[in-house]
This record gives sequence, structure tokens and C-alpha cells, in this order.
Amino acid sequence: MTDPLSVAALVCTGLGLLAGLATLVATRDGLASLRVALELWTAAGLLRLSAPPSWHGVGAAAGILAVRQLVKLGLRDAADAVYTGAAGRATSK
Amino acid sequence: MDAIVSEERISEFVDFLVRLVELAGALIIFAGAAIGFVRFVMTALRSRRAEAFVPVRLDVGRFLALGLEFQLAGDILRTAIAPTFQDIGELAAVAAIRTALNYFLGREIREERAEIARTDLAAATDDATSGHLR
Repeated sequence: MTDPLSVAALVCTGLGLLAGLATLVATRDGLASLRVALELWTAAGLLRLSAPPSWHGVGAAAGILAVRQLVKLGLRDAADAVYTGAAGRATSK
Repeated sequence: MDAIVSEERISEFVDFLVRLVELAGALIIFAGAAIGFVRFVMTALRSRRAEAFVPVRLDVGRFLALGLEFQLAGDILRTAIAPTFQDIGELAAVAAIRTALNYFLGREIREERAEIARTDLAAATDDATSGHLR
């Protein structure tokens, strides 16, 4: 069952890349496109974690998922700062 | 005295159930990703606003959380047949990662739902104001 899972994870990674690119082309917003891509890349990480547990596999999948969660949190904070700054500028005018 | 059902049989049966439940979880996650991809592309073709992607991301997150629930169910089933400390340790690590992810996904879903509600409220207020001015 390991091989189909790896293929599915790889497909999700590719779909994430394509969806992120499509979002970037449509919105010209890098943060939004990264958030879209990260959603599908998280799915890929979860599929990788579905393989029968082994310390090596668990460590790798957990590391990747942790990095993605951190990037997501960082992006959210960055987006909040951008929107708060824009709102502050708008009200001060 | 021989047991009515041997330990090996029970172990095989639970192992089969674990595979079934984990397969269901993996299918849900993959289906969510595939459906999400199609909707992301359709949204990109129709709209130029970044906010238009938030409901799609919310739905993908829901699929991921549902798939994770299935996988956690598989982990719980697996505790019935984990014979060694090594197996239990690996299982605990995977279950801990999945539980933490489920928590973060749930929080994200709540926040994005609130964001959508805020956007809808702002749009409704704008409509009401422009209608009142007319």
C-alpha cells in the first residue's frame, strides 16, 4: 500500500504547485497563492504519513508538516500585518 | 485449552480493519485535494480577488480534517494489536502528530469561517448603505 500512497502524495504536491501558480496568475498575490499551494501540500504530507509507521518515515513526514504549519502561521501573521497597516493608513487619511 | 478464536486471527482481523479505515482516510484526503484543485483553478479563471479562494481553502481543510479523523480511528484500532514497545512508540508518535494537526486544522477552519462571515457582513452592510443612499 506504500507505493500508491507515495504516488498520491506526489500528485498532490504537483497539484499544489499548479493551483498556486494559477492563483498567482489570477490574483498577482504571492501570499494567497502560497496559502493555496500549502493547503494541497499539507494533504500530500498527510498521505505520506498514512504509510505504515516507521521512525524514519514519521520523522520526515512530521518535519515537513511542521515546516508547512510554521509557514502557514507566518503567512497569516504577515497578511494580518499588511491588512492592519493598510486599514490604519486608510483611517489616518 | 485452545481459545475459541486464536490471537493470530484477531490480530489479522484488526489489521484488516486498520487498513480499511486508513484507506478510507487516505481516499478522503486525496479526493479533497483533487476536488480542491479543480475548484481552485475554476476560481482562478472566474475571479481575480484573493478572498474568492478562502471558501475553497475552507472546504479543502474540512476534507483534510475528516481524513485525519479516519486515520486517528485507525491509530486507535492499531493500539489493540501493537505487540512491542517499538510499535507502540511509533504509533504514539504518529497519533500525536495527527492529533496536533487536527487541532491546528480545526482552529484554521474556525478562523476562516469567521473571515467569510466578516466578508459577507461587510458586503451586506455595503449593499444596505448604497440602497439607503439611492
